[in-house]
Amino acid sequence: MLHSQSSWPFERPQQLIDALREQGASPEECADLLPALLRLSEWQAPQPSPADTRLLLARLAPELPVYSPVRQAIREHKQHRVTFLLSTARAQVSLFGLGFWLVSALITLIGAAVVLRSGVVSEQALALPALVLRISGPLLSYLGTMVAFRGRGSRVLELELVCLPSPLQLTLARLVIVLGYDVGLGLALSLLLWAGGSGQVLALLLTWFMPLLLVTGLALLLSLRLSIQAAATLAYGSWLAFLTIGTVSNLQLLQLTPALLVLPGCIGLALLAIALLRMRAEMHRLLPRI
Amino acid sequence: MQERSDEQLMAAVMAGDQVALAALVSRHHAPLLGYLYRLVGGNLPLSEDLVQETLLHVLRQRTYQAGRPFKPWLYMIATNLARDYFKSAEARRCRGESDEEEALLQLYDSAPGPEEHALAAEQGSEVRAALAQLREEYRVVVVLRFYQGFSLQEIAETLHIPLGTVKSRLSVGVHRLRNMLDPVQKGVK
Repeated sequence: MLHSQSSWPFERPQQLIDALREQGASPEECADLLPALLRLSEWQAPQPSPADTRLLLARLAPELPVYSPVRQAIREHKQHRVTFLLSTARAQVSLFGLGFWLVSALITLIGAAVVLRSGVVSEQALALPALVLRISGPLLSYLGTMVAFRGRGSRVLELELVCLPSPLQLTLARLVIVLGYDVGLGLALSLLLWAGGSGQVLALLLTWFMPLLLVTGLALLLSLRLSIQAAATLAYGSWLAFLTIGTVSNLQLLQLTPALLVLPGCIGLALLAIALLRMRAEMHRLLPRI
Repeated sequence: MQERSDEQLMAAVMAGDQVALAALVSRHHAPLLGYLYRLVGGNLPLSEDLVQETLLHVLRQRTYQAGRPFKPWLYMIATNLARDYFKSAEARRCRGESDEEEALLQLYDSAPGPEEHALAAEQGSEVRAALAQLREEYRVVVVLRFYQGFSLQEIAETLHIPLGTVKSRLSVGVHRLRNMLDPVQKGVK
């Protein structure tokens, strides 16, 4: 049943005048047109009752899009990607054993101890601690990559493919854990260096963290074609070889001047991005062969 | 808790949310019915059908783009459906046979006496007849502006016409209405 009388949007005549002015009417025109426009409110439209609206809804409801619970869950998860990534990362933390956390922290502590014992005060004295950090930083990356992706050789990819978090999301989540933990260790290292009176905290931190990013990116990219052990070893080995050549030959370019410290990190991030983008296309290579 | 916007409700409807559909329909049922009722000259069954068709289009077409203003999009569909109806052969036939609107216009044209005039005015018939006499392009903008309370920009988005065209159509529309609804002044001038 319909109730009469719909609402009239203009409570005061002044509102009508404002509306007329807005559309370009002069004050004289407004005065001329206002009586006629005020009469528009005489014609009221019927209002639908709540029962009418319910009836309409009953007719419309069958037309609503229907999604399966699984699809609905995927849609909801896509709407909260960051939250989902972090919650996946939280669930993946259990994959990393206590040994990984302790060994990583120990390596960082050793690096910090070496730097502090050498008492860094000058550019020349920076050489040894910098070398230690350049070796220890990527070592964390090597360990992290080996531990985070050790399941790939265990033929569990098929299982991962049918799970709601895609392999890409799992990879990202594990990278968040490894890199997040390494960043945390880096902050702790910088605090230690700062407390120990080291003069070049930022330079030392970059010396430690940038190669770590490079080796992680390289290992992940190589892992698309090689086993994870081979990829991580090759990436870390290449970095060690690079350092050895730089130290033995004493080439200035290979020794990475402070200005070039960020270069390995940038290359590492680029490699990480390429690896993540290529992952979907290369997925078939990772499937177990029967 | 903050009330969800039309756009948020529509996004939820596209995902199959029945509660969002109920909220959206409850919010727009009455205004949409009022709009179509006035657009089709006070034919209630027809306007009810058009409301239902409009909302069915909203659900079936699934062409809504997230973030797009919902209200102009909804009224664009409603306006197009009303236009389609009037263009159809059936509409022409119906109008030819027994047209209430025609009867109203005759009533308006036949110079009623004071009593009849008062009665007609009381029921809004005169306004209804005046609006029915406006060409469709002017009637649409007048109804959207003065009954639905749309801004000029919203009208432009609804009808896909420039802002200047909206203003000129409104100007022509209200001047014609004034001539029809205020015959005393018209006579003086």
